[in-house]
Amino acid sequence: MSPQLELRGLRRSYGSVVALDDLSFDVPAGEVMGFLGPNGAGKTTTMRAVFGLTDLDAGSVTWGGVPVDQPARRRFGYMPEERGLYPGMLVGEQLEYLGRLHGLGPRRATAATGEWLERLEVADRRASKVETLSHGNQQRVQLAAALVHDPELLVLDEPLSGLDPTGIDAIGAVLVDRANAGRCVLFSSHQLDQVEDLCERVAIIDRGRLVAVGTVDELVTAGARRLVVRVEGDRTGEWSRSTPGVTVSEVSGGEVRLVLDGGVDSDAVLRAAMRAGRVTRFSFERRRLSEVFREALG
Amino acid sequence: MRALWVAGVVAAVLAARIWFRRRRARTQEPAPTEPPPRLAVSTAARRGPPPSDAHETTTPLADVRLVAVREVRERVRGRLFKLGTVFILLVVVAAIVIPALHHSSGPTVQTVGVVGRLSPEAARALRAAGVQSQDRVRLVRQPSLPSAERALRDGTIDVAVIDGAELVLSQPASNASAPADPVFVHSVAISLGVLRAFRAAGLTPGQTSIVAHATPIPVRALQQGTSSPHTAVSVIGLVLLFLMLTQYNTWILMGVMQEKSSRVVEVLLATLRPIQLLGGKVAGIGVVALGQATLIVGTALATAAAVGTNALRGTPPSVLLGQLCWFLLGYAFYCWLYAAAGSTAERQDQVQTLALPLSIPILVAYIFSITVASSGSPDLLFRILAYFPPTAPFCMSALLALGLVTWWQFLASVLITLAGIVVMARVAARIYGRAILQTRGRVRIRTLLSS
Repeated sequence: MSPQLELRGLRRSYGSVVALDDLSFDVPAGEVMGFLGPNGAGKTTTMRAVFGLTDLDAGSVTWGGVPVDQPARRRFGYMPEERGLYPGMLVGEQLEYLGRLHGLGPRRATAATGEWLERLEVADRRASKVETLSHGNQQRVQLAAALVHDPELLVLDEPLSGLDPTGIDAIGAVLVDRANAGRCVLFSSHQLDQVEDLCERVAIIDRGRLVAVGTVDELVTAGARRLVVRVEGDRTGEWSRSTPGVTVSEVSGGEVRLVLDGGVDSDAVLRAAMRAGRVTRFSFERRRLSEVFREALG
Repeated sequence: MRALWVAGVVAAVLAARIWFRRRRARTQEPAPTEPPPRLAVSTAARRGPPPSDAHETTTPLADVRLVAVREVRERVRGRLFKLGTVFILLVVVAAIVIPALHHSSGPTVQTVGVVGRLSPEAARALRAAGVQSQDRVRLVRQPSLPSAERALRDGTIDVAVIDGAELVLSQPASNASAPADPVFVHSVAISLGVLRAFRAAGLTPGQTSIVAHATPIPVRALQQGTSSPHTAVSVIGLVLLFLMLTQYNTWILMGVMQEKSSRVVEVLLATLRPIQLLGGKVAGIGVVALGQATLIVGTALATAAAVGTNALRGTPPSVLLGQLCWFLLGYAFYCWLYAAAGSTAERQDQVQTLALPLSIPILVAYIFSITVASSGSPDLLFRILAYFPPTAPFCMSALLALGLVTWWQFLASVLITLAGIVVMARVAARIYGRAILQTRGRVRIRTLLSS
């Protein structure tokens, strides 16, 4: 099991723009951690700070309690938001080169390159130049570049963006495998459904500040109760609006998704629904991650 | 110059030792005793070895070497590089061979058939004429005039001298197809005519010999000579220096810009320090530059030797070594400047804008040096510029080839330039470190230079 990554009190400003504002959270080993936030929230700045690619005004990044330095970063894998590979270099040679820079010997780098290209289903493009690959395959090669040296910490900035469902599945499976192998995995994404499927833990930031952190289970089960009700013939959920403490969060497919305040009696809601018509569904549900996200951002 | 030689030999020995050591270390790298770790595992049982075992201990210099090796491989592999090198070699070979062929259009050996008596003074006069016409003279005894005429018709001899008083040719020397060199024939005719006149004037053979071998009186000029034996070397060296510095520094500029624009620099700097990446790039391109320069100079020397041109003949090796030294110093000085400039650019169209101001000192020093190399008379400003790092590679190189510099002046200029290189490298590393990751918005010079 790898040590964990600890971010403590990170601050970074660009002129009058505050990118990170006393940001602190941990990335434990053995879990896939999602890193969420709206555009400009500071996700990329945080990830770059882990690799020393941006100067911090304050705060510390530690790995197993020890400040992260260059030898430690050699054991990290990074996939930046703006993909970066040599366009005219052969795929295989590029991965071997990056593996060597991360401390692998030549034979090990060659073997690991072969294994990762095989695993990510781009082995047949080993002798191709990167610039000749499709977007999806370039993305796979970029992921292989982050993984080729078997990193203890994997930091991926928007690894799923622009991928088709097959690509998302392939990369998602790799992230889960890495976590199962005891590594730290932190990745950012705007695709909250995928994050909910892949991650055991998420951190949500807004304007450089942490607004929510915890396991997905903790976050989706916490807060106000969610009630899904279907009343025959009702398409608006108008019947629920007269019940105090009940808010309509979503109406979709003839079902009304309600948010109940703490003191609301669900029997009273059921009675109100029955008065509106025949009730064919009445069930409590977990919050969706997208709801957690929206609520966290206020 | 002797000190320069010693320094060169010591540097070569040290480089060879380092190379052998590294090679030995590489060959002794243990083969993996187990298959590489399975990186894609989904259960604890399939996990690879602990992470600490997966990474080897490396040194900062080893990283620089990796970057440099990649740079060398990618450069040498490029089609543009291969075609460019072949083109330059062809131009160099042509520049040496064509003038040599033109120069050697006449006969280089004049075989002279001697009929009858030939006095020692006359024989010496024949050889002296050969030196004047740049021909080698071979004397062949002929038993009689008919036999000499046969030999002339056969082409066995080019000229026949009859009793030191008459020259016989197979055809007029002015004919394009005549085997006899007209300059040689003219010179011999005059020399032998003078000897005959001496005898007719009543001079004894001893007196004739004294008069014929009179030592020329010394000639003294009030102004210094305007040419040097190594002027050609100086000009050729300066042209090569200019072309190579311009080319290789543009490589640096483009290479840094491309790494930034492709964003690969972000991946690289996640594990490397900026100075390692920059140092590797500079070293890699420097190795390619040195290799190409050596190939070009080697080809030029080999071609010159093969065709017997005298353009480089007599040039001391110290001059060639000194010019190579200034090529390296010039590259080492300017490469940092170009790298720093490349880190502030992000698009191809910005490269020309950045390269132009950087090339101005190179261009000025080049034109100034070429002028001085041709005239052979440097003024005070030129001599001062020979100690100024941006212009020293050209100015000191020209002074060296012209033989107008002492060893300590050469050394002082080298030391000043080395100091300049250190300062330039530090400033460039600072600018590079700040600018290379700035991909949004204009890179401000004040921000780059602020502490």
